[in-house]
Parts: sequence; C-alpha cells; structure tokens
Amino acid sequence: MDVPSEFRNPGKRRPKKGGTKPQLYEDTSMQPPPSEYGAHHGQGINMEGYNPSGYGGPPGAGQFPGAQYLNDPMANMAMQYGQSLAGQGTDFVHKNLEKYVSTSRVKYYFAVDTTYVMKKLGMLCFPFTHSDWSIKFNQDQPVAPRDDINAPDLYIPSMAFVTYILIAGVVLGTYNKFTPEQLGIQTSSALVWLILELLILNMSLYIMNLKTDLKYLDIVAYCGYKFVGMIVCLLAGMVFQSTGYYSTLLWFSITIAFFLVQTLRVKILPHSEDSNYSRGSKRSLYLILSISLLQPVMMWWLTGYIMFTK
Amino acid sequence: MSGEFGGNDGFYSSSDSYEDEPPLLEELGINFDHITQKTLAVLNPFKAAEHDMMQDTDLAGPLVFCLAFGGSLMLCGKLQFGYIYGIGVVGCMAMYFLLNMMSLTGVSVGCVVSVLGYCLLPMVILSSSAVLLSLKGMIGIVLTVLAVVWCSFSSSKLFVSALSMENQQPLVAYPCGLVYGVFALLTVF
Repeated sequence: MDVPSEFRNPGKRRPKKGGTKPQLYEDTSMQPPPSEYGAHHGQGINMEGYNPSGYGGPPGAGQFPGAQYLNDPMANMAMQYGQSLAGQGTDFVHKNLEKYVSTSRVKYYFAVDTTYVMKKLGMLCFPFTHSDWSIKFNQDQPVAPRDDINAPDLYIPSMAFVTYILIAGVVLGTYNKFTPEQLGIQTSSALVWLILELLILNMSLYIMNLKTDLKYLDIVAYCGYKFVGMIVCLLAGMVFQSTGYYSTLLWFSITIAFFLVQTLRVKILPHSEDSNYSRGSKRSLYLILSISLLQPVMMWWLTGYIMFTK
Repeated sequence: MSGEFGGNDGFYSSSDSYEDEPPLLEELGINFDHITQKTLAVLNPFKAAEHDMMQDTDLAGPLVFCLAFGGSLMLCGKLQFGYIYGIGVVGCMAMYFLLNMMSLTGVSVGCVVSVLGYCLLPMVILSSSAVLLSLKGMIGIVLTVLAVVWCSFSSSKLFVSALSMENQQPLVAYPCGLVYGVFALLTVF
C-alpha cells in the first residue's frame, strides 16, 4: 500500500526538487551538469529570456519562505522544461491516437440522450416486443444513437462495465473479502476477457470473409451490452443467493442472445445475399448464432467466480 | 521608499517590489469568496448554479477536501491516501474523456478536477460519520447511498451548468455516481 503512493509522489513534487537538488535534474535535462557552477550557469542562461519575472534577485527577507524555490533559475528551467515536455507529450499522443481511433467517430457513439438510454435499457431487458430492428439512416455515415433506437452506442457498455466492477467490489465486501487492490484485479481480468472476446470476433469476421457494415466500434458496443445483464445477475445473487443468481442469469442469457440475433441479422445477412454462393448466408447465420451463444457463456464465466468465492 | 530605490546592494532593491507585490493569496490564486461560493453550491444541491462559477478552476478547495477525506478515513483505521489519489486520478481522467466525447464544447482537465474535488464534500461528511457509527448496518447503507446521490447530483449540476448540456444531466450524473461510489466503497469496506 505504501509502494504506490511513494511511486506517485515524486512526480507531484518535481518543481521543488529541481531547486534543492540540482543534480537530479541535470541528468535528465539538456543543460550541462556541473553542480556548484550550475546555479550561476543557470542564471546566465535564464537571462536570455525564459522567465525574467521569476528572477527577481536574491529573495527579500520579508517574502514567504518558499520564494527562493520559485526564484531559483534551475527550478524555473525545470518547470519550463516540464511544461514543454507535457505539451509535446499531448501532441504526440493526439497525433498517434488519431490514426487508430478517430475521435470524431467515437464522438458519434456517445451522442446519447436520456430517452435513448432508457429505451435501450428496456430493450435489453425485454427485447421480445420490439418489432423493427433496422437502422433507418444511411449506413455509410455513422448515425448518432440519439436519432435511432437501433443504433449501437458506447455509453451504455462503458457505464455498465464500470458498474460491474463496482458491484463486484460490493459483493466481495459483503463476503468481507474486499481490499482496494481487488478493484484493480477485477478490472484487469474483466478487460482481458473482453479484449480476448473482441479479438476472436474480429478474427472470425475476417476469416469468414463476410461483407458487413459492422465497424470495429459496433462490435465493441455489442459485446459490452451483456454487462447490463451481468450487473442485475450479481445484484440478484447478492439478495436472493443462488436461486436468484441462476434465474436472472437464465433470463438475461435468453434476452441478450435474442437481442444480438435480431440486431446482427439486420446488419450481416442482407449483404451476403448479394453473392451467388448460398453458403454465404449459412456462414453468416452460423456466425451470428455463435456470437449470440458466446455471450451467455461469458456472462456466466465473469460472474460465477465472484458469486461463489466463499 | 524612495530612499531605498537607488539600492546599492541587491538586498534593498527587492523591498521596493515587496510593497508593490500583490497580496499572497492573490498570487497563489486562492480566492476565499469563490471557494465559499462553490462550497455552498455543493452543499445545497437544489439551488441552480451560475454558469461562470466554474470558469476559474481552482484546486485548493479540492485538495483540502481530499486531505480531509483521507484524514477521516485514517481516523477509522484505514491509511489509504494512496488509493484516494489513484482513484481520483483515474476517475478524473475517465470523466474528462467522457465529457469531451459527450459535450459539444470541450472541457479542460482543471475544470473536471475542480468540480469533482468540490463535490467530494458530502463524502467527507460520510466518512467522518463512519468514525462514530459502523456503516455496514442498515442506517449506514442508507447514509452511504444518500451521500453518493448527493455528490453525483451536485457534480452533475455543476457540469451541466458549465457545459450547457441540459437534457443530459442524468447521463452525466451516473458516471459521477460511479466515481463517488468507488470512494464510498473505500469508506464502507
């Protein structure tokens, strides 16, 4: 428990450390390292115009005690370097991230409003009364979920994932097995299983060579919808023990399978009918069925071990 | 003052600037009026918040509240400052990402940290009450849920007023509730 806090604190105190121990900074910065000489050398370089207001001469006796840190040119240089580094870092991250995950597309998936979320949750719990599963807008443009109830979104899956971690923590707490490290452990193992599932689905879509409109983020969204069911299962298991857990698991397995079959059928099947091979539609049907049946298995896998760790 | 103006040593030349300097609190950026205003806005979740209140992002208040939270947890026997810091950083990053995706205008990290920090105040109250009564009983559960709802309601109110996302307030309140729920988990268990 002490290790993480000690690890994090040096980052917070960096500007002050640059003032009291110049040696630490001189190794990483670009300035030449002599230690005694470093202060004067730093003053000389500082005069060239980094931060003239900070260099107010030797600190007056009446000022607050910390002033000599801020007036020390080494600290100034350290702060300037740190700020420029942070700026470069964010630019670098933005440029590279833009290549993999385009922010404007991701924004579409979060353009939700309250009515959409309520209706979608209702649909996840009881999809049997919903009749029209197609998306009405043009498929080339990503459609904001606000406009169409059938469009996938990423808000519900991400919220459901975090809630699942929290509820797992609560369940562990009722068994008196909760420590804050458990949160990290649960998060990482659930993430790993989710990523594995996404990889398998993407590989199978690629291998089966189906023409679909499914974007990568759509698949992430569809895999994330099962966390809603998992949350209810865990809650029911906490209140009603085994019977509650298994019955809600059964119910939500049926609903998520039905939901996915209906949704994917609209997205995958119409395109495979363009080809002349009749096997094309069979392949897509198998794929849809296997995706839909994989979800209950994952639901059971990710909640069972929490319920029954006694 | 004028006698010291032609200062020969370096020592006296700075005492002239000593009198012209702005007061210490202004230099540090701590503005007590704003702090009390924001704290009252958090404590009274039913009063509407003004749009400009969150524009100056100050981190002094949130820092005090986080330290108070850690201190009251310490009184319960849990030395968890590191976890509070870690969860705070992760929660703030997640809220920053989510709010930038969901809102039309962007939001800065300072604003997110400031709002989330100020709305930690009900959690501080909860954890100080944990010193006196155990939170695992029925009253404790009710108090915890109440505190989380209060925190998330005020933080979503502040975010919505700062970012003008009127019809999405429940959607902003839920992730805030999740962040404060993790803090509540630390407090209770």
